[in-house]
Amino acid sequence: MQKNIFISLQNVKTSIQMNKKIYNLLFSVSIISLLGLSSCGGGNQSNVTSEDSLEQSIEEQIDSNATAVIMMNGALFSIPSPYQIAMLVKKKNLDFNEELITPLDYATSYTDYFKKALALGFYGADLAYLTMYDQTPKAVKYFSKIKLLAQDLDISSGFDKEIMERIDKNMGNKDSLMYIVSNSYRKADDFLKENDRQELGALILAGGFMESLYMVTQLTNEIKDQELFYRIGEQKKPLDNLIKILSPYYDKSPQFTELTDKLVDLAYDFENIKIKYKYEQPEILPEKKLAIIKSQTEVIITEEQLQKIKDKVKEIRNFMVK
Amino acid sequence: MRNINITAIIIFLSALFTFNNANAQADQTISLVTKYMKYPFISDGQQYKALLNGDEIAEFHITFFGGTVYRLAAAAGNDEGNVVFRVYDKQRNLLFTNADYNNSPYWDFKFTSTVDCLIEIQLDNSNLSSGFVYMLVGFKQEGK
Repeated sequence: MQKNIFISLQNVKTSIQMNKKIYNLLFSVSIISLLGLSSCGGGNQSNVTSEDSLEQSIEEQIDSNATAVIMMNGALFSIPSPYQIAMLVKKKNLDFNEELITPLDYATSYTDYFKKALALGFYGADLAYLTMYDQTPKAVKYFSKIKLLAQDLDISSGFDKEIMERIDKNMGNKDSLMYIVSNSYRKADDFLKENDRQELGALILAGGFMESLYMVTQLTNEIKDQELFYRIGEQKKPLDNLIKILSPYYDKSPQFTELTDKLVDLAYDFENIKIKYKYEQPEILPEKKLAIIKSQTEVIITEEQLQKIKDKVKEIRNFMVK
Repeated sequence: MRNINITAIIIFLSALFTFNNANAQADQTISLVTKYMKYPFISDGQQYKALLNGDEIAEFHITFFGGTVYRLAAAAGNDEGNVVFRVYDKQRNLLFTNADYNNSPYWDFKFTSTVDCLIEIQLDNSNLSSGFVYMLVGFKQEGK
């Protein structure tokens, strides 16, 4: 299992390097074009010739990659939105449980970017839970903390004054809040990718994912519900995705290494869960632009497996928040 | 010395122009894709982007949870219909491609059960030979 994960991780790194090559090539083309433009008016012949041969060489290199499958900007693996878990929890008609969320005062001890970025993720998941349960005054406090963390991390997009005003106006409107907050996180994600700070984006995703997983695993103490058990088992692939997203930063700091190792350890426990899949022909409704996917997945998870996962998730979540 | 200064200014201005132009292009493409991610669809909080040339294919892995309606929206360049996407299950069965529907810029998916999927994204070379592809994934709020 560990071997498989690390082979996949290596593939991720290779693909990212390939993407960088293409960026570098395009950057070179831009610079060459600019230099060509700046030297208009004299001695053009030799420049044009060398530029032509360089461009030809670059085209050949791009052509050699023409059929390659490339990855999507280092975020080729999707992580489910914390709102999806919050919606599932709410559907179970359970009472609001404040013990499931991370207290705001924990944030005062976060001094480095690693903890702050994780906090941006897990407080986001807490905000989703609070929103679902119409806990408006608490939700305002959590969003204010999220905004401060974003400022500390120098993330200007997604958490600006305009968004805060929209949040204020829509307090009490659950649907609008979900929409606004999700868009804030999407804009922040884009901002971090555009500014070559993907590692922060990866930590935010990790924080959100683990807080959601913590919530749903802890709820199994309150309710024995098959859908919740299945949903926990179905996090097997998203957890693999998260490890792959974090993997390029494995050696960036001891904290990254420790976090990734803990998640790989958790992935071992998920590996024992059996998932059976049966393909069924989808139904396409073109007039509604809708595809109904009828394939079926069955999750087989034992009480012992669940307990081990629950314990380990709690341990990792504590590592993140304290 | 004066010639060098003029050259440096021209390079700087050209780079600035190129940068602004690229940003304007990106904004235009993003607006093409975000317009399909409106209420009642909620973004998954991530923005996927890939630079594609020719026949290159970008792929990404995603788990769609059962009982949920999702929306995929994709765009490249200044116009709709430049992107082809294909959704496969983990056994590589093709579940859907927008190529069968005039490269529709978005499509909704209702999953009756949770399915791990692979999505391939490619430029339609008859419309666009290279550029950034943006893709968003959203899910529908329950009961909407």
